[in-house]
Amino acid sequence: MFARLPLPSQFDRIIITGGLVGVMVMGPILIALVTLYMMSRITGGEVVFYLASVVVLGGAIAAVSLSNLVHSALSLIATLMGVAAIYLMLLSEFLALVQILVYGGGVIILVIFGLMLTNAQDDPVVLDGSQKPFAFGVGAMICGLFVAAALLAQWGPLEANLVPFPDFGKRLFGDYGLPIIIVAFLLDIAFTGALVNARRAEHAGSKEAAK
Amino acid sequence: MIPLQNFLVLSALLFGIGFYGVLARRSAILILISVEIMLAAVAINFIAFATYRDPKAFSGLVFALFVIAVAAAEVGLALGIVLRLFRERRTANVDEASSLKW
Amino acid sequence: MTDFLGNHLNLNVGLLLPEIILAVGSVLVVFLDMFWEKAGRGSAPLVTFLTLIAAGVASASDIDAVDDFARMVSIDNFTTFFRFMFIGVGIMLVIGGWEYVDKHVNHPAEFYALLLLSTVGAIFMASARDLLIAYLGIEVLSFSLYIAVSLGKNDNRAGEAGLKYVLLGGVASAMLLYGLSLLYGVAGSTQYGDIAGALQGDLTGLHMPLILGLTLIVSGLGFKVSAVPFHMWAPDAYEGAPMPVTAYLSATSKGATLALFLRWFGGPLLPAIGDWQWMMAVIATLTMVFGNLIALQQHNVKRLLAYSSIAQGGFMLMAVTTVSDISASALLVHLGGYVITNLALFLAIIQFYNRTGKEEITDFAGLSRTNPYLAVVITAGLFSLAGMPLLAGFFTKFILFQAVVQGGFLWLVVVAVVGSTVSLFYYLQVIRQMYIYEPVGDASRWTISGSGYIATGVLLAAIVFVGIQGAPLYTVADRAAFALFDGAPVAAAAGHAAPAAPAAAPKAGGH
Repeated sequence: MFARLPLPSQFDRIIITGGLVGVMVMGPILIALVTLYMMSRITGGEVVFYLASVVVLGGAIAAVSLSNLVHSALSLIATLMGVAAIYLMLLSEFLALVQILVYGGGVIILVIFGLMLTNAQDDPVVLDGSQKPFAFGVGAMICGLFVAAALLAQWGPLEANLVPFPDFGKRLFGDYGLPIIIVAFLLDIAFTGALVNARRAEHAGSKEAAK
Repeated sequence: MIPLQNFLVLSALLFGIGFYGVLARRSAILILISVEIMLAAVAINFIAFATYRDPKAFSGLVFALFVIAVAAAEVGLALGIVLRLFRERRTANVDEASSLKW
Repeated sequence: MTDFLGNHLNLNVGLLLPEIILAVGSVLVVFLDMFWEKAGRGSAPLVTFLTLIAAGVASASDIDAVDDFARMVSIDNFTTFFRFMFIGVGIMLVIGGWEYVDKHVNHPAEFYALLLLSTVGAIFMASARDLLIAYLGIEVLSFSLYIAVSLGKNDNRAGEAGLKYVLLGGVASAMLLYGLSLLYGVAGSTQYGDIAGALQGDLTGLHMPLILGLTLIVSGLGFKVSAVPFHMWAPDAYEGAPMPVTAYLSATSKGATLALFLRWFGGPLLPAIGDWQWMMAVIATLTMVFGNLIALQQHNVKRLLAYSSIAQGGFMLMAVTTVSDISASALLVHLGGYVITNLALFLAIIQFYNRTGKEEITDFAGLSRTNPYLAVVITAGLFSLAGMPLLAGFFTKFILFQAVVQGGFLWLVVVAVVGSTVSLFYYLQVIRQMYIYEPVGDASRWTISGSGYIATGVLLAAIVFVGIQGAPLYTVADRAAFALFDGAPVAAAAGHAAPAAPAAAPKAGGH
């Protein structure tokens, strides 16, 4: 019975391809990083940072260039989870947790639902516009400018320390009480918006029926 | 300690990639995904600056939290509108929705 | 009560009473609609109207206050000015637009709730003194508008307009945020006061991130105010939206963004004026030139007004370029006149649409025969936008141009005057249709409803009053701008002979 479903084989293909690509990309990088670490050129933290960066950037590049919508969404998961790891490197566990909960648990599911609902039939969909070279130029220019700004700037004396959970909570719910309330308005609005847009067809239908 | 520049370079690259996606993609949902990538870059920047340059007040950490919340709400809102457009036109591509000229 | 860092916090909730009333009112509107169907369709506009009146009364108690709430929101005359403006826009839209909303909007109750909540967002944009509040204010306003734009009933342009608006708006927010994050990195704080202090200090080695951050901030805000390289969403959103939402986009949304421009570029970013002044001048020029040129080719009246309001935004950005107490006050005067004029125009067109269901420019043919009153209102509005004497637009533009010249940007004013002249051509197209051509088809007279007469009548009177006697508006704007710059009042003897106000030395950009 399950053999008739196309799903498992397709999943196998995704997992095998993804795994192969992952091993081929990550393997050499891992080896290089571990070698550098052995030679004491970089610290353990930096090894983790570079690994996470590769995941983040690789996922992002895949998400904006793959032609399959679902693959794009899945690559976004890699990016966002990698970003959570970056937050850990930045000593903010709380935000890493929030990132995983909100994005992994909410946003990704929402995006995939969106894909399912809008791509129900297999229309040939145009994914990329004709202005790809232009887009590439602009993207490369932005990358170049901001990387240069980050590297050339002198950020002065830097100190980093861990923000304890209780302090973060005090700051968030004490000093930032008003923003929290405004965000409540915002969620209210987003909820209303999702409702009025989703409810529309039914609403119109019931009105017609009433007439 | 990992230098601040590393995080800033990562976030700059991420922002550029997201911007490329916004310009190159035609599917509304893929544009949304690209915007999420840009917002992730923003959050990295805020947290990096909060940790390294503002460790006493860490307003950037709070800011990043709000950015995450707003981004999530925005996805919900935008997907609602995408679904509605899809119901009306059977398309989720921005260039096929062109009864209004750009 | 002190905050985490030991600063004193003022948690007097009464300072936020207008916003609280508006938010509670919005919830009330939705709940009444949900649980009390007997109240019928009349309840939502009525509750909205009463809420707005109550909020207006509550704002009146904050006149001349100088206070802040929890170091997040400042309550001063600048805030009060914009509270009154946004609440006034809401009241006029409810009076003049409720029939339209009833007929052509999908979920009237939600429309009114969003109207109230977006007003809260707009007020927070004008009153914030922390980047976080300003950002959340922007998002509250934008989110409401994304939804409101797509509320049109039986209008297949609505969904598309909403989608374009939400996607481009998301990108603009991301750009603005990246700019804010760089600004935060350079300044090390999100408080306006601390940012100004940090930018006055030593910025060696931080100029490149600062300039890139400012570029992104100007682009993001330029999008929200539909300045020209970032304007492509505006005509579509204006055309696809229900008409009251279009009016709201052109009044409150634009006003709130300009308030934010003044708060940011007249406050925390003022020390970096050398880095952003040229960007603003370039954007203002492009906006004035292209807004007016593209408007010449439009045949839909909403699109025409969209481009006209883009061009008007260029005039106002001109005053941001030369930001000082003089030009801030001039900008507020012009904004006031512009909002009154645009609302009058849109409400008249809403009344026209209620009757005819048409919105092409040629559909206005012979309106002077079929409804002379509406034709007069529309003519007064268009002439005021073009800057004809004896109407609001002339007086406010005069003050604005004078302030910009004093700020040392004569060439910008030359561009603006040429743009104004060009704008007369496309405004005259509509007027020509109304007065010279014969009505097509049914040429019998028709009248508008009582509430329509009230709303358009009040605004028409205001256009003429400001045009003849601009001093009250000038005085109010001057007091609001005074709150923004803690220097001497612009016109010590404000209240008469406004255009000849003595020029206090511009504190910024005086090089």
